[in-house]
Amino acid sequence: MQAATTAGSRSRRAATPAPLLMLAALMLVTGISGGLYRLGIAPSAIAATGWLGRAGLAHAALMIGAFLGTVIGIERAVAVKLRGAWLAPIASALGGACLLLGQAHVGAWLGVAAATLFAAVNVVVVRRQPAIHTALLWLASVAWLAGNLLFATGGGSEAVLPWWFAFLLVTIAAERVEMTRLMRRRPVAHPLLFGVLALMFAGAATSGFAPRVGGLLYGLSLTALASWFLLFDIARRTVATKGLPRYMAVCLLAGYLWLAVGGIGWASTALGLPLRDIALHALGLGFVFSMMMAHAPVILPAVARIKIEFGRFFYVPLAALHASLLLRLGAGWFDAGLRSTGAVLNAASIALFAATLAGAALAWRIQHDGPTVQDILHG
Amino acid sequence: MSESMSPPVAHAAASPAQSPFPYEGPDELRGPIAAALQRVVDPEVAMSIVDVGLIYGVTVAHGKIHLRLTMTSVACPVADVIVDDVENELDRIAPADLQIQVELVWEPPWTPARMSERAKIFMGW
Repeated sequence: MQAATTAGSRSRRAATPAPLLMLAALMLVTGISGGLYRLGIAPSAIAATGWLGRAGLAHAALMIGAFLGTVIGIERAVAVKLRGAWLAPIASALGGACLLLGQAHVGAWLGVAAATLFAAVNVVVVRRQPAIHTALLWLASVAWLAGNLLFATGGGSEAVLPWWFAFLLVTIAAERVEMTRLMRRRPVAHPLLFGVLALMFAGAATSGFAPRVGGLLYGLSLTALASWFLLFDIARRTVATKGLPRYMAVCLLAGYLWLAVGGIGWASTALGLPLRDIALHALGLGFVFSMMMAHAPVILPAVARIKIEFGRFFYVPLAALHASLLLRLGAGWFDAGLRSTGAVLNAASIALFAATLAGAALAWRIQHDGPTVQDILHG
Repeated sequence: MSESMSPPVAHAAASPAQSPFPYEGPDELRGPIAAALQRVVDPEVAMSIVDVGLIYGVTVAHGKIHLRLTMTSVACPVADVIVDDVENELDRIAPADLQIQVELVWEPPWTPARMSERAKIFMGW
């Protein structure tokens, strides 16, 4: 792997194919639309079209597998630099498209193919660097495969969702474990994490046939994982810096708090309390989307070859997401109208974040490549 | 991204007599190269790639700056962005006739022992 440039020129490396990025973005937009449709929020003209109903049915599959699975698959393909690694995100994105087009069976099995290919890519990663964090990346892909197999064979949401979320949670945990290597090793950290993940997998495996016990174990594991992050993650140190590292740390720490809330919500739902929206969206939006907002300014340049000019304005969509989640999951628990308003504002926060990224990319271009005042004045 | 934020850890310009990584080449380029590499920051850890210990060595010879760089993880998708940042920073200080070659290497694997003293202090060692 060599990059050679002569002073005065720059290297150019292959970016993610634009159609794949556009398909991933489409999965996000349709997934969010489906989520709003489930809450009864959709313009009647759009609601009459078939795809929105199908997006509503497949909301979790679109958000977790077709969008986040595709994005994570792209990240890994960029890292391993193997042509075959691109097949996993292509399969997951096409699987999502099939779900939208009414080909649910084909879509679900494309999801299985995507997770199988992704697990194989992670075997390559482990072989290149045998380490705890790479082993966890592989374990995450196995959780995704388990969830997708259950989904394709007609498993209910109680059985499927714990595995799908485990895919995201273990992927994030792997990345955080890698970062903790920069801190002084604490002997209890790894055994504690292994215990938490064992609890998570036990909860996921049990949820299909004993939802009460499984959900309780799974919820406990989420709150324990949040505690682990808050105790051992480097974000506690990097939050004291400034600029992009501080912003990333703020996203991470806020996300860990939502993960704890999601765990309590998950366990309470298993015990019969009406906290399902809190369980799913404290986790999916509060935790997972916070992680996404943290890493997007770093990952976008890597996967799309788009440079970003970071600025304090990144805190605006982050604050909007967390405020709208408080509205949805806090006040919304008492009032269905506020819950719907919160959900719409959740979607608006994500749209605002997308606009922020576009603005930050434009700002970078203006600052580094854009025309000078002289150019403009003299045509 | 190194251009858009200032490193949170205070960095003094490297002394010409001493490099924080193995260096072979003209003495007059030792300081500027070390300073250029200090400006490349890994945003996730808020530290320069020099302090994290990602630079395995720099050789300036035969019309070329050859730099060996590693990452903490093979699954890191940001490797190419950091390589780009390294090239851009070296580009700013290198004489125009010097070619810049950045090689991403995985042997020997990175370990925390490679971190600088100030990086360890920052991370609470």
